Amino acid sequence: MTYAHGKHAAPTTFLSKYVFSYDHKVIGKQFLWYGIFFLGVGGMMALLIRWTLAFPGEAFPVLGNLLFPHTNGIVPPDTYSMLFTLHGTIMIFFAITPILIGAFGNYCIPLMIGARDMAFPLFNMLSFHIAVISGALLLGSLFTPMGGAAGGWTSYPTLSTLVGSPGAGQTLWCLSIFVLGVSSTMGAVNYITTVICFRAPGMGYFDMPLTIWGLWLTAILNAIFLPVLGAGVILLTFDRVFGTTFFLAGAAATSGSGDPILFQHVFWIFGHPEVYILILPAWGMVSDFLSFFARKPAFGAKATALSMTTITILSTLVYGHHMFTTQMSPLLTQTFMTLTMTISIPSAILFANWLGTLYKGSIRFDSPMLFSMGVVFVFGLGGLTGLYLGTVSTDLYLHDTYFVVGHFHYTMAASVLLGGYAGTYFWFPKMFGRMMDETLAKIHFWITMIGLNGVFMGMMVVGFAGMHRRLYNPFVYEFLEKLIPINKFITYSALLMGVGQLPFVWNFVYSLYKGKKAPANPWEVGTLEWTIPSPPIHYNFEEIPTVRCGPHEFGNPKLTNGRDFQYQTEELVE
Amino acid sequence: MSWLERISPPDIISTNGHLIDSLFTYTTIMACIFFFFVCLGLFGFSWKYSAKKNKVVDYTYGNRKKQLKMTLVIGLLVFVLIDLTITWRSNNDMINEFWNFPKQDEDITKVEVLAQQWMWNFRYAGADGEFNTGDDVLTNHDLHIPVGKKVEFRITSKDVIHSLFFPNARIKVDAMPGRISRMWFQPTKTGIYDIACAEMCGTNHYKMQAKLYVHTQEEFDEWLSEAQHLATIGNDTDNLDNFWGWKWGDK
Repeated sequence: MTYAHGKHAAPTTFLSKYVFSYDHKVIGKQFLWYGIFFLGVGGMMALLIRWTLAFPGEAFPVLGNLLFPHTNGIVPPDTYSMLFTLHGTIMIFFAITPILIGAFGNYCIPLMIGARDMAFPLFNMLSFHIAVISGALLLGSLFTPMGGAAGGWTSYPTLSTLVGSPGAGQTLWCLSIFVLGVSSTMGAVNYITTVICFRAPGMGYFDMPLTIWGLWLTAILNAIFLPVLGAGVILLTFDRVFGTTFFLAGAAATSGSGDPILFQHVFWIFGHPEVYILILPAWGMVSDFLSFFARKPAFGAKATALSMTTITILSTLVYGHHMFTTQMSPLLTQTFMTLTMTISIPSAILFANWLGTLYKGSIRFDSPMLFSMGVVFVFGLGGLTGLYLGTVSTDLYLHDTYFVVGHFHYTMAASVLLGGYAGTYFWFPKMFGRMMDETLAKIHFWITMIGLNGVFMGMMVVGFAGMHRRLYNPFVYEFLEKLIPINKFITYSALLMGVGQLPFVWNFVYSLYKGKKAPANPWEVGTLEWTIPSPPIHYNFEEIPTVRCGPHEFGNPKLTNGRDFQYQTEELVE
Repeated sequence: MSWLERISPPDIISTNGHLIDSLFTYTTIMACIFFFFVCLGLFGFSWKYSAKKNKVVDYTYGNRKKQLKMTLVIGLLVFVLIDLTITWRSNNDMINEFWNFPKQDEDITKVEVLAQQWMWNFRYAGADGEFNTGDDVLTNHDLHIPVGKKVEFRITSKDVIHSLFFPNARIKVDAMPGRISRMWFQPTKTGIYDIACAEMCGTNHYKMQAKLYVHTQEEFDEWLSEAQHLATIGNDTDNLDNFWGWKWGDK
């Protein structure tokens, strides 16, 4: 490899080491901080939303008077719209994407495939800096005279054009998403190239850990579909700023006429793969962790990888199920319904393989394992509730109700969040050379599990009872009045979930400085990142390793070295 | 109010609303069965094969013939019992009911709907039976229909996208500027029900509600004749804003 000869000296100044770093490990950590910051912001917004739904017209406790002095601490309706718009935008694009893809992608890909860095380190650095600009644009939009974007995270025109949203907030939102798309596309191109070109000698595609499979497939989807979203929001910006009419129709289109539904097509062509962009890295990690902690080879690892690939391909063909109520032609509707349903075959295979991995294992319940099993549980619920929404007739009733909100929070929020925590607990010792506290981690797990199931199950229940989304005060409707107690229950669960994150924050910060020194291989697994010291040295590997066996070699009865696992650098004992 | 009443959806007032509830129930039963097996595996294996109890693992990649067959069978079971069944049922329901719009010569109630921020406008043909003429009956916030007779809506929007939602009929369709969408149902019960906007349409989205009055035929005729009378004497035919309708059948 020519790359191996081009080692630079390690940076020494603060700026070159921590800010303008080309090192994938530093960039990964930068994305982690960035994501955790926005996770906090988005979480606070969620609590404000939940408060309004459970106690409409009552002042938000403690912070209310500070945030909304003009209404005596009550969240006003226009602010409420901004809150759910930005909660969605921030959680998807600024919290989950940076943590799962930015942080773990950057940190793990080179280490787990035995490379010294990413293929394009400059791109990688720019990808983070551009993400910062994007975050600044979004947060800045909150301080414009008419406030931030308030048309929902989907920003459907014509509500998101000047017809429904005057003011700079929505324009800044569009630009922010466009800029973030540039950042993520740069990252994606980088990941794809790195995985294809920089795998250590001897590592075939099926010798890659499934984490890498997940991240790689995610990167492919990102590279293909983020530009589509970019095109959509740029056209929307043109409509807003230059007076074009791509998405205007009816009375609002004074010169020529476009079509607001066109935006929905463009948005969901990106938007449905986006769901899988977020969940694939988590699936990959879970598939690995279940094997690592059950001390058993991953059951049907090849089938798992191929199922993930199948889902990746199918995910590009089903976006129309988000638009059943726009009355597409029956033929299109039927096609999208049928294609959507076929996704459950590879999904069922994934579940069968996950449970097959646990069967006759020797399961250790360390925190990454608990969180991984949590993912299996919540994704089971999330996946199965998708059936109702992929079915046209039930979707007629459930579309735009809280049932949808509950469903996508199970798949995107709950599963991905738990997956992200599993990854954080698992790689923390690698990143910082110290261990996180296990007891606090387990407390964190159980409170989070109880809280999030209360929230998202509750949402599906009120959704089935007919409560629709994005209502400032649902109880102006007579038929929804009976749902106040359940909404209170959801809000209490959300508070519990919020409080449950405090042990994590404390654990993370404390362990960073005072945590127990991590042993060389705390979880006793054989993937490449555990063959080098923690935290790894500059350029990771003194010698590029040669891979001789798969990533899940556990419990081989012929092993005689006193361990129950093999490193990937060792010849398979047969 | 019992918890069950609290979490159940509103009463069904249409001839085909029960189809949606029954498909919902079937999907729920199937989902529960499969989720039960997921939990059985997750918790059962955790209990039986914890590191404390089981030291020796089964060293397998899951690629033995028997294991592959098992995985495939699970995939197929899911596909046949859930996917094929609900796709087939839903498709039948759509073709036979929800997409089976009333024929041209059927005796139905026809209503044109214009959504706007934040109000529902309804238009009846009036005495001459033609839409968008001076004698049309115009209402907002209130929709009156007779029981037992199919009602068809043709829906559009003035400004942003809205969605006309009848929770009691289990049906909704988007109201889009520049397009006319269609919806029908046949009410079976008299009474007053909620109509909602289901698509985010701005700050006062939550206030965009209307009421559905399902009358007996006699009551409806009485209401209509009075409304028609008021329309002939009271409609402001100089105000072009009142002519937002279109000829029925025009797209």
